[in-house]
Amino acid sequence: MKSAVTTVIASADASARFPTLSDIESAKGSFDRAASRLEAAEKLAIHIDRFTSESLDYVYGRQSYDQANKDKCARDINHYLRLINYCLVTGGTGPLDEWGIAGMREVIRAYQLPTAAYIEALTYIRDKVNIPGDMNQQAAAEFKTLLDYLINALA
Amino acid sequence: MLDAFSRAVVTADSKGTPIGTAELASLRKYVADANKRIDATLAITQNVSCIAADAVSGMVCENTGLTQPGGHCYPTRRMAACLRDGEIILRYVSYALLAGDPSVLDDRCINGLKETYLALGVPLANAIRAIEIMKIATVAIMTETNTGRKMFEGINSGSGADCKDIASEAASYFDRVISALS
Repeated sequence: MKSAVTTVIASADASARFPTLSDIESAKGSFDRAASRLEAAEKLAIHIDRFTSESLDYVYGRQSYDQANKDKCARDINHYLRLINYCLVTGGTGPLDEWGIAGMREVIRAYQLPTAAYIEALTYIRDKVNIPGDMNQQAAAEFKTLLDYLINALA
Repeated sequence: MLDAFSRAVVTADSKGTPIGTAELASLRKYVADANKRIDATLAITQNVSCIAADAVSGMVCENTGLTQPGGHCYPTRRMAACLRDGEIILRYVSYALLAGDPSVLDDRCINGLKETYLALGVPLANAIRAIEIMKIATVAIMTETNTGRKMFEGINSGSGADCKDIASEAASYFDRVISALS
């Protein structure tokens, strides 16, 4: 699983050297940002069910998508938010890349999933994050970056 | 390879739940102790040859037959291999310490080490003794309890006395190698 620290270690190991000062500096950079990432992860874990249900009610409330898909869509959005929670913890996009995005296009094509609904739901969550009600400014910035990353991958 | 953060992720994913407040507590401690961890890692990387060479010579001093003809550290080619292995083990310990998780040490160093040594005829008891000395030296340097010159810089965290927890974590990684060879 890739994270800021494991990337540093993997490159040090590839050239069989001890962690150098510059390796440690780049690991330190991720530790310095960790507080807001962990804050975002914590708040996302608390609000994950509400984020899911509110966005689904919004997207499926306008009758533009087949209501039969609502439950499956809710399950997937919840799944994606959980992966974003993991990304916030690791400080990289590893969990989303490895468990969410790899193979996603093939699955979407095979089952003809309405990706537009997913994108709308994720965009809704991104735009409706309440600062500071849901999480603070820096935490929300970290969260939104990952939501954008996922939206771009789905689009 | 995992670090403290990705270890939490893999554990949470096996349960299918997001990482919540309870799991985040230990990660916050990892972040709070990051400076000590960095200094402890630097304490290893800045004293590599000292730690490894002292450990191997200590092992040889206890078994002088090793460097005599017929001994396992004779000729110098084999002594050099021994020093090299000391540094390799120390390197993976430094990775594990920086990551806060032993998986890199397990996957890339310990796995198959005993079998390799058995196949090459390396005496395990002597290898274990050298690792023990490396452990003692590393802990002494990190906690600033070594005799002689000051070897712990403490640029980020201050004194070595604050690094006791990290030093005992480092000791646990050496113990992992020792128990894998036992």
